[in-house]
Amino acid sequence: MTGEEPDAGGDPPSVAIADPLLSPPTSPLDLPFDVPSLLALSRRGQWRAVLDAVAVARRSHGLLPHHHLVCLAVSALALSKLRRFSDAAAEIDALDAPLDSPRFRFESYPSSYPGRSGSMVPFALRFLHADLPQRLGTRSVTVDRLYALFDLVRSKILEETTTASADLWRRREVFVIASLCCNHFVHREFEAALALVRLLLERDPSDPLLLSRLGYVQLQIGDLTGAKASFARLENLHPSGERTVELENLVGRNKALEFIVVKDYAAAVREYEECIERDPADVVALNNKALCLMYSRDLSDSIKVLEGALERVPTAALNETLVVNLCSMYELAYVNHGDVKKTLSNWIAQVAPDDFDPSCTRI
Amino acid sequence: MSGQLQGGSPSNHSLAFRVMRLCRPSFQAEEAVLRLLDPLDLLAAEDILVDPSLPPDDLLRISDPSTPDAVANSDFTFRDRFQIRNPVDAMALSGLLIVPQSFGNIYLGETFSSYISVNNSSKFEARDVIIKAEIQTERQRILLLDTSKSPVESIRSGGRYDFIVEHDVKELGPHTLVCTALYNDGDSERKYLPQFFKFIVNNPLSVRTKVRTVKDNTYLEACIENHTKSNLYMDQVEFEPSQQWTATRLETSEYSAEANSETRGLLKPPVLIRAGGGIYNYLYVIKSTIEEFGQSKVDGSSILGKFQITWRMNLGEPGRLQTQQIYGTPITQKDIELQMLDIPPIIILERPFQVHLSITNQTDRTLGPFEVFTSPGISNDEKFVMVNGIQKLVLPPLEASNSNIFDLNLIATGLGVQKISGITIFDVREKKLYDPLPDVEIFVDTTTTT
Repeated sequence: MTGEEPDAGGDPPSVAIADPLLSPPTSPLDLPFDVPSLLALSRRGQWRAVLDAVAVARRSHGLLPHHHLVCLAVSALALSKLRRFSDAAAEIDALDAPLDSPRFRFESYPSSYPGRSGSMVPFALRFLHADLPQRLGTRSVTVDRLYALFDLVRSKILEETTTASADLWRRREVFVIASLCCNHFVHREFEAALALVRLLLERDPSDPLLLSRLGYVQLQIGDLTGAKASFARLENLHPSGERTVELENLVGRNKALEFIVVKDYAAAVREYEECIERDPADVVALNNKALCLMYSRDLSDSIKVLEGALERVPTAALNETLVVNLCSMYELAYVNHGDVKKTLSNWIAQVAPDDFDPSCTRI
Repeated sequence: MSGQLQGGSPSNHSLAFRVMRLCRPSFQAEEAVLRLLDPLDLLAAEDILVDPSLPPDDLLRISDPSTPDAVANSDFTFRDRFQIRNPVDAMALSGLLIVPQSFGNIYLGETFSSYISVNNSSKFEARDVIIKAEIQTERQRILLLDTSKSPVESIRSGGRYDFIVEHDVKELGPHTLVCTALYNDGDSERKYLPQFFKFIVNNPLSVRTKVRTVKDNTYLEACIENHTKSNLYMDQVEFEPSQQWTATRLETSEYSAEANSETRGLLKPPVLIRAGGGIYNYLYVIKSTIEEFGQSKVDGSSILGKFQITWRMNLGEPGRLQTQQIYGTPITQKDIELQMLDIPPIIILERPFQVHLSITNQTDRTLGPFEVFTSPGISNDEKFVMVNGIQKLVLPPLEASNSNIFDLNLIATGLGVQKISGITIFDVREKKLYDPLPDVEIFVDTTTTT
């Protein structure tokens, strides 16, 4: 934080703000940048521009404590997206008080936020603070912080007095549990991942996304019976007449996975083709269909599917995993694969968002 | 990780082999690149909703994921790389599969599968191509592919001939995948291209067994240890007993106390043995299929059976092994079985009490007569429970497979927890001393004052 923070005595910042009697009370949603523009930049993956916008905002006059925190959250996110993890961590560390400090609560600044109480820390900032250590090589710190965040969220749910607020914290709880589950999965700690999926299922036993993901974890482990049961449960809870296109495709892709398990690649390809017909931008179906073709000895067509996807639906298909798969296929198909990968890499550089990881082409 | 194979292909070859191991794909969790967030969590204080007076439109402006972009051309959007739709999406498992990124390790019992592509990277056609692929080990050569009978007529410039080979790995140690191509190049010269790919096959598991006898039952304990670098899902672990035995698996049903019956069936914990040294134990009761009394000896030379183990890895990649035969360990079947039938519930210091015992003849001939007494035992500890009265009890001979019940009169000379020890049987005729009855604990009280 800059010099506008309170001193050790907890006095409010001395900033040039308008006389509170003459101007409306400050809304904590009031921000020093244009929100729709910032969101547009974020949705287009233009994170360098986001950083610039935050830098400009930080130079404004009359910044209040909550402005600083939001700017910090956005900046830390943008830096993480640009893979500048140490810079992101350094910015958060520059807050020389923990996030639970009274300094970051509305009631510490009664003249700026009359009658308002609660923490002004954006929840995303807490998450980023937890996520960053593993990007810098200390995964155990991330896991500890995520579990501490889990505790925090749980106690907030119990405290909250309004329904809307409690619901918001419940969504955050699911978010944190899911993040932890992902962390355990990536590190192959499957029993922990399954235990967390169990927790999520207790809250929502019929969520199709959750049931599918349970199936994926079970398939990754090799528990084919378990996965079959999870997928079957999903289909029973959401019968065929009542599905959206998205759900229909989810069910179709799960069926395809069951074919892949028994190496019936032709049947899997047919399922994926139906998905692609319903939704030409179904990247999971496109990617997995290509893999099936390769496993059926049809390397040429597998490459065509992935190249075609990048050409037809670039914003959906431009995905690091898909690119890794395509480059693996290039390495198999061409002795001189350096050239074709370079062509791909150049195209990506023109089209990809700022946060696209270029190392996936393995050049 | 498809490789230029070792063994070098000289640059004057038109053809080259490209090889990629085709074990099953894996699910990719995309959390390294995505950090999906709710814009409300990014742009607003976490306690924002504590205040119900906030204008709802302001909040909506931030949080609604279907808000169109302020700038035109909303087709060109990477919204799904930024904005989370459903909090569960933080699991980052969309179902995207990724091909194996490295050769990995190969273990006994697995199936080695590989994509092999013969590329023509020259400007000229290659004709009459005879392709062979074989696996060479220390002991044998296994032919996987041979197009000698119908050679590939032509591989054009820039073209490919692909094949997939599979081989069940049944040997340990070094293996070499040898790929050879015999072809006519652009100058109609017959060329020979050999390329080699080496790998080592290791043992994935070890199975340690122990046979124990507790009372009248024989138990087989098996401990499976995982030496691989992956977690192994134990799909099937079956003990196949040899003909004269039956085996029943004993297991606890840990998850049966699931509160939520809806999810119970889905979440039976899989038997997953951790990579690099994880273990799991199995327990079986072994019973003889031969009903005759006294015949069910499990001795050192008897074969109990063997284990068939099927494990799985990502997307069901299977591996199968069976163990060697497992032998029983010897137990001595006693000719004479001595048992303590009952002891009085209250035993008072220095007041005689009776215990009931049985003696059983487990042979097929008459044994005895017998003497029953307490022997001093190995230790020099003072004994506080002794025979009251005649020190040696004589029992008549006992016919084959018969039992006899008798009493022993004892007295305790010490208070508290004491042991009845050293009750021994001596066969007078055969001059055979049997092992004493195992110690029995009793509690010696003072006189009750009621």
